[in-house]
Amino acid sequence: MTEGEVRLEVPASPEFLRVARMMAAGVASRLGFTLEEVDDLRIAIDELCFCLVGRNGRPGTVALRYVMSSEGLTVEGAGRFGDGASDEPRLSPMSLHILKAVTDECTVDAGPDGPTFQLFKRRRS
Amino acid sequence: MAFDAKERDDLRRKFVEYARTQDPVLRTELVTAHMGLAEYLARRFTNRGEPLDDLVQVASLGLLKAVDRFDPDRGLEFSTYATPTIVGELKRHFRDKGWAVRVPRRVQELHLRLASVVSALSQELGRSPTIGEIAQAASVSEEDVLEAIEAGHAYRFTSLDAPSGSDDEATLASQLGRNDQALVDSEHRVDLSPLIARFPPRERTILHLRFFEGLTQSEIAGRLGISQMHVSRLLARSLAQLRSTAEQES
Repeated sequence: MTEGEVRLEVPASPEFLRVARMMAAGVASRLGFTLEEVDDLRIAIDELCFCLVGRNGRPGTVALRYVMSSEGLTVEGAGRFGDGASDEPRLSPMSLHILKAVTDECTVDAGPDGPTFQLFKRRRS
Repeated sequence: MAFDAKERDDLRRKFVEYARTQDPVLRTELVTAHMGLAEYLARRFTNRGEPLDDLVQVASLGLLKAVDRFDPDRGLEFSTYATPTIVGELKRHFRDKGWAVRVPRRVQELHLRLASVVSALSQELGRSPTIGEIAQAASVSEEDVLEAIEAGHAYRFTSLDAPSGSDDEATLASQLGRNDQALVDSEHRVDLSPLIARFPPRERTILHLRFFEGLTQSEIAGRLGISQMHVSRLLARSLAQLRSTAEQES
């Protein structure tokens, strides 16, 4: 089974973003990713979720979509926050550097309803 | 830690001289001479779900502090003086960096067991194993493997210490072999983000090799002589610290 998608919407707090990370690991495992590729994904999700909600979380939710294909895994995240804080996602140069090393493609945007991210991780093996 | 009379005299002289000169070469010699004590004390904490080499690193930090603070004129044996300092450091490590969520013993044990399973598989396959392959080799489910890996990263997310300062560096540097020292030196030539520069040498080397040189975790593990799972844990911890620092400073 290498096609299909999983959707998840979690409160935008660190405990639940951990669930988002574990889901990424679970889906990637089903796709036959190696341990190191799974680790890369976990790092990427952590980094992107941090970019959206910071270390302590925000009021609101993050909706995640994990899209499986024969090439690999795409993860999309969309934040919906009601705290009036800036929705412009900011990635530090360091974060960008990290994301470049652990994903094949990665973008963040200030969407009309809240900040979003998208990443793609290719399966090599 | 048994030294014969001549060794004891010799060490005693070095302590006196170090107290006077603060010579870093002597400091390294004194730390090296007592690494056995640090390892012995670290071993006493191995039943708590932390890998021994992490604990030895923590213990050697305590040892370094003891070497710096020891006053040879007070007539106390160094090991008597150093033991509470080292044990204190180990206890603090568990207080600060214990498992964030309560991780069942079964999962902690699987986490430790997976380190060797992953090493053996990587060697056999010549690449990083898939989660399915690890599960099969360890005779557990894929979910068990994922849970154990997740548990290994379950450091407290919000209360991590700031990256350790210069105090720790001599210890860590002295733990690295000569080849690794060359690595650390080559890494100094690159203009690293000041954030990374605050990490101790080993973490800095790992961050650098992974994100600036593009080495895989297994390649880094091979260079540093530690397991890939350990590299993975150190990376996760360093990145959590980086994010924590980034937020505090923004």
